[in-house]
Amino acid sequence: MKISRRDKLKIYGDLLLVLNDESKNGRIVLTRVQVKINVPFDRLKKYISELRELGLIEDETSLRLSEKGKQYLRDYGKVLDFMKRMGLEYQ
Amino acid sequence: MSMYQEIRVTYEVISTILCFILVWFMIKPYLFTRDRRYVGLPLAFGLLGASYFFSALIYTQLSFFRCDMLWFQLVARTFAFVFLAVTYYFSKKPFKTSYLLWNVTFSLIVVAIIASFLMVIFSPQFDFQSYLNASPYVRIFIMICLIYIIIHVLKSHMENPDSTTLLIPLGYILLAISQYSLIIWAIDSSMFAFWGALALRWWGLAIFLFVTYLTFYRKGKRQKNENLTPR
Repeated sequence: MKISRRDKLKIYGDLLLVLNDESKNGRIVLTRVQVKINVPFDRLKKYISELRELGLIEDETSLRLSEKGKQYLRDYGKVLDFMKRMGLEYQ
Repeated sequence: MSMYQEIRVTYEVISTILCFILVWFMIKPYLFTRDRRYVGLPLAFGLLGASYFFSALIYTQLSFFRCDMLWFQLVARTFAFVFLAVTYYFSKKPFKTSYLLWNVTFSLIVVAIIASFLMVIFSPQFDFQSYLNASPYVRIFIMICLIYIIIHVLKSHMENPDSTTLLIPLGYILLAISQYSLIIWAIDSSMFAFWGALALRWWGLAIFLFVTYLTFYRKGKRQKNENLTPR
């Protein structure tokens, strides 16, 4: 149970990062997100639904990050950067 | 209190405060990931802070248990570096395979800490003379832990060379030299080594604090300006 939770944290973080990058290019194309995240399409859809339930994205069609999602992404970036600076690996 | 004692108490209290500020930041990786392997980081800096607090109590001479306090600070400091070394060791291991081993190791360390403190309190063998005898050996052990950590962080830096990852190895190197200087002081009573060790400790802790500031505050401001682009 713990293992899946930890893995998901990283997947959520990476997914939000890709969604945020893609949103800068205009419309978010799900297949491009899938290639970048490297997960099967059905699982990607599931993660996106979970992100929506958690309030990290606005809706499942626009896929834009909500304020909560942006905050999560900021914290995710900071913590990963801190761990990298500390010489700790996050796997 | 003599002037020397006043200086030492101030020094130890500031070291304690620095460590407890660092605990606040070191707990963030654990709180965010909920990965138990990273709980060693705040525990290590917490124990380090506690060891400096015990040192401060020793120099105030308010404590009736001065000898116990000497041992407490030695035990707390030792386990602080053990926690750090173990955290770095397990951070490199795949999570799925090392999870059980981490739990066992963590539990053993906690039991060892509690047992050590209880032994110091209840065993009459832990007197001042035995502290003086044990202290250099413990410091050598702490240095071994620090050398392991330095190798680990330098390896991480070599794998992904980046100017931002250079400061932490420097912080650990300063802490290691500080321990080495204390060993020199214990051998030949060199006051230069002694004061040098104290200065290096502050520099080491200051570097950790500077890195946390860079990560959580300066970066935060920059990210807001750049509209979210964590590396």
